[in-house]
Amino acid sequence: MKLVPFLTAMVGGLLFSTAAMSADAPGAAELAAKLSDLQQDGSTFIRVKMIVSSPANPSDPKTTLQLQIKSRRSAGQTDVVYQVLFPKERKGEAVLISSSGNGATFTPPDKLQTFDAAKFKESLLGSDLSYEDVSDNFFAWKDQSLAGTETVSNVSCQILESKPKGARSSYTSVKSWIDTKRMVPLRVEKYGAGGQLVRRIDTSDVANVDGRNVLAMLVIRRPGHATATEMDGSRIKRGVAYTDADFTAEGLKNLSGPKGGE
Amino acid sequence: MTFFTIVTRGLMRRPVRTGLTLAGISIGIAAVVALVGMAWGYEKSIGKQLDVIGIDMIVSNMTGGIMPKTFDASVEDKIAQLPKIKETTSLLMQLISVEDAPMIMVSGRKWGGFTWHQLKVVEGRMIKDEHEPAVVLGRLAAEVLKKKVGDTVQLDSDELNVVGIVDGGSVVENGAIILSLAVMQKVTLNEGKVNFIDIRLQPGTDKDAVTETAAEIKKIFPEGRAVKASEVVGTSQGFRVARAMSWSTSILAITVGILGVMNTMLMTVFERTHEIGILLAVGWRRQRVMLMVLCESALLGLLGGILGVILGAAGLMIMETTPAIKGLLEPDLSPRLLIISVIIAVVVGLISGLYPAWRSSRLSPAVAIQS
Repeated sequence: MKLVPFLTAMVGGLLFSTAAMSADAPGAAELAAKLSDLQQDGSTFIRVKMIVSSPANPSDPKTTLQLQIKSRRSAGQTDVVYQVLFPKERKGEAVLISSSGNGATFTPPDKLQTFDAAKFKESLLGSDLSYEDVSDNFFAWKDQSLAGTETVSNVSCQILESKPKGARSSYTSVKSWIDTKRMVPLRVEKYGAGGQLVRRIDTSDVANVDGRNVLAMLVIRRPGHATATEMDGSRIKRGVAYTDADFTAEGLKNLSGPKGGE
Repeated sequence: MTFFTIVTRGLMRRPVRTGLTLAGISIGIAAVVALVGMAWGYEKSIGKQLDVIGIDMIVSNMTGGIMPKTFDASVEDKIAQLPKIKETTSLLMQLISVEDAPMIMVSGRKWGGFTWHQLKVVEGRMIKDEHEPAVVLGRLAAEVLKKKVGDTVQLDSDELNVVGIVDGGSVVENGAIILSLAVMQKVTLNEGKVNFIDIRLQPGTDKDAVTETAAEIKKIFPEGRAVKASEVVGTSQGFRVARAMSWSTSILAITVGILGVMNTMLMTVFERTHEIGILLAVGWRRQRVMLMVLCESALLGLLGGILGVILGAAGLMIMETTPAIKGLLEPDLSPRLLIISVIIAVVVGLISGLYPAWRSSRLSPAVAIQS
């Protein structure tokens, strides 16, 4: 039994949280707009445990990382910093990803590298997520349609299909199974060119923290890959104070958490 | 041949069926022992912790989820001014995923507060001052984290030295990472915040004065709630849910047991129609036949109960050592639980035997003998 008050969400466009609300079968555009708005939740600070395992070979060693995630999201821009706190030998390793199509990595003691959108398909800290997965907001894409309903984890979900249509993405479409009562996706499938499934993200726990539904635990799998990544949110602070410097390559060296927030 | 011999012979006639029925009941009772034992154990651990520390009342704001929400530490100073209050201290406690271990309780305690007093250093030393970047580990926490004195433990982005291993007198205390409130606030970015105020009342404070004090605290801290230590477990939603879940699962298991015993007893009655007819013909009263069937089912319940208690207790002992539970729960294997479980088993046996007993008493001796 995992008893945890505090938790987080991360699906597709990354960790996001949603206010507890209900929707009576909204249209695709309306549903996507609501989800997109909820994803633009300002400045947040999140602690997450990430476990990369190999379900096909349970005897293979698991990699466990404790991460802190600094993010600021608005309608036009998303900046996210992932910083490794544990294990000791990887402490300080960090990645900055910006939805404007650039980013940077930092490997202690002093290896700082910038990158552009061409590297967005690369793995995030050795996990089954890519840089693109944590900076994209596919709910904001223009082409949204409803593809029926399906029950996921005993919850009836609307299936929302999002296509980039002009937006920069390596995916050709993303299907999300939306619990419209809690306004959270319980499953996300991302498809590449040729319509093959590239990534599947399953929500295994949703928590209500201060009236907001947050995805507490996610499992990310890639068909054809032996690994699976479990992300277990342990704490979230909203409305924290960041400076622009926190979202620069140099800012990656700063492991201090932000001030303020609830 | 005595009445009891007839009862036991009835059961021994079909040893495989009786054995399978016993297995069914015992699994049900084992579930009761294991699940209820866990729930009671958790409650007992919390109660023991409060007793050991000597806390009379606890103030917190439970709206935040399983752990209370943080609030301004200055609330403590205002509460401390109330007339019936002898002593207060504050804490910031959080369940944190530490390194690669599962969630563990991290307890930041106000320096000099009475919550430090019951900690006995079993290895190493106590933290020197409120700003020392160090922790002491409860004995079980040290085991779970595989840490010893001299190691470091990483809490969020800070590495803190493990300076001692302590015995806190309860499983909750022994399963925790303990550090000063100031360091905890800094590490978890909660400067100036706490989420518990523990209160000791003036000796001799009566029930009415406690209620009055709780009302005064509510005025000072409207979002929070002051609860008597003895009521902490009873008023906690989490405990209530855990208790309800353990009993509801147990009831399901018991229901399966009842059906199993009822089936066995009905089969017994059908198979022994001839014998029951003879017993009625030689002068047994219908009530005596009913009593015989009820005794058989009660005996099945009793044996199943004893077996179930043994199985459940063994299961609990094994569960207690698993990494997910070790240090978090101390299952309750009190005689009270074991006796209640056996009584439940006997009652299950009796309930299951009621219908078969009634059926047997309705047999006509003449028809039964001919069957």
